[in-house]
Amino acid sequence: MRRIVLPVLAVLALLTGSAVAQAPAPPAAGELPAAVAQDQITVNSDYRGSVIDVWGVNTDRRGRGDIVVAVRGPSEPASVMRKRRFLGLWVNGEPVRFSAAPSFFAVLSNRNLREIASPQEIWALQLDPAASARLAGATPPGTAPSDYRAALVRLRTRQDLYQEIPGYRREDNVGLRLYTGGLFRARVALPANAPIADYKVDTYLFRFGHLVSAQHITVKIERIGVERRIHDLATHASLLYGFLTVLLALGAGYVSAYLFRRG
Amino acid sequence: MPSLYLPIAEMPVDVTVVLLVSGLVGFVSGLVGVGGGFIMTPSLIFLGVPAPVAVATGASQIAATSFSGIMSQSRRNSVDWRMGVLLSIGGVLGSVFGVSLFHRLLALGQLDLIIQLLYVVFLALVGALMLAESIAVLRGRSGRSANVLSRPARTLAHRLPLRLRFPRSGLYISLIPPLFLGFAVGVLAAIMGVGGAFILVPAMIYLLRMPTNVVVGTSMFQILVVMALVVILQSTATHKVDLVLSALLMLGGVVGAQFGSRVGARMRSEQIRASLGLILLGASAFFLFGLVWEPRELFTLTDGP
Repeated sequence: MRRIVLPVLAVLALLTGSAVAQAPAPPAAGELPAAVAQDQITVNSDYRGSVIDVWGVNTDRRGRGDIVVAVRGPSEPASVMRKRRFLGLWVNGEPVRFSAAPSFFAVLSNRNLREIASPQEIWALQLDPAASARLAGATPPGTAPSDYRAALVRLRTRQDLYQEIPGYRREDNVGLRLYTGGLFRARVALPANAPIADYKVDTYLFRFGHLVSAQHITVKIERIGVERRIHDLATHASLLYGFLTVLLALGAGYVSAYLFRRG
Repeated sequence: MPSLYLPIAEMPVDVTVVLLVSGLVGFVSGLVGVGGGFIMTPSLIFLGVPAPVAVATGASQIAATSFSGIMSQSRRNSVDWRMGVLLSIGGVLGSVFGVSLFHRLLALGQLDLIIQLLYVVFLALVGALMLAESIAVLRGRSGRSANVLSRPARTLAHRLPLRLRFPRSGLYISLIPPLFLGFAVGVLAAIMGVGGAFILVPAMIYLLRMPTNVVVGTSMFQILVVMALVVILQSTATHKVDLVLSALLMLGGVVGAQFGSRVGARMRSEQIRASLGLILLGASAFFLFGLVWEPRELFTLTDGP
């Protein structure tokens, strides 16, 4: 219910010209006020992924300008390895480490990003996941760092962890959709394998290739209920957790031996 | 199809599919009398569970199955506790070493390779042994099962120093081979996420010359101790044990094993063993193929530093 009511409230507030006071995250003043429909996503035992909906309005009367919305998960270390042939077997080569790479990255725009902003601007604002991935050291001799960077982006894209969506994709109901009156909605599908963490949502307004307005919103994804209790126990009281698992195994073994004993 | 979000693996799984897979693995293990860990762990990886989670969580399911087995074996007085404790001491040392090796290989990026190679070798070995044994029985050359190799009357175990009496098995042998055997199985258990009965049982029969009626119960005791330790070590060191997945596996595995052993009691075991031997040989070839064939994607990605 909350997921439906909030965008409607946001839209009403925007259409009547008042500020989006009802929305969870109050927007900073700018030429592109925006808000998220849900600033807190909960993960319980039936979690199968979710969506982040960003609503906003381009205040320019003639609707000039391009809108870009970036959703980023926390940056975390990662390593990429390239397989090579060794004694007839395909074996992982030396790992190339990234000290920080976004664990989730989605960039949505009303048209192709490369038509909106210059490559320098895309790089400076880190609107490309490759731009935000920092290599920790040199790559093995005879290899190019760009190969590893590209592999990181390709592999994460295949897992839906990196997404680049120009325009609105009707069949999946994701992307940036423009309505009349400068209103827009940016919808990102978060796959279930996306990390449970705080996400940063940034909205940008470009006009004639230059950034004119930007805004930042935080969306929290949190475990609740049993999921949270199990995870907390496993990380903060791991010894107890281990003993509990063994106890569960002994209990299951005992019950089955008792239930299925012969004679 | 109800789905359940696994808190540690951080992915949703289809409850029906997990129960079916674990039930099937349990059924096969009950049917043939093997632990099933070496089928369960690859099946979980195939379902998309990350390999470290599959290995660490599989251990808890093996612990449940072995405890259930010990309950019925000890009722028949077919556990040699003294031998079991000795094997367990070796197993505890081996699994501590194995978990640290697991970490080092993970950091080097070679864990997958080692796991795959171990599967290629051991699946082929066990498959070939099972096939040879059951064919021999079917041809009528041997009256008893589990007897391809001839059992020497005295082995290395009888000649080494530090000999100890094992009344339940009627043995007077050195304690070095059981300790060493326990250690080797402990290392494999920690790395491969298997119980190791497929090595332990033949070694106990042919190397230690234990009577077959105490071998199964005693090996289960060692496996229970080692697996319980692996679960605790993996929980504290890697935080990769998933309690929800573990509960699902126990439920499916335990029920499946009971049905398997019931069906197995009414069937000719040689045919079952021969077909499982063939399947294992096929699985070994499949793992080998994956290592030799040029992969379409040369790059792999791992999270963490």
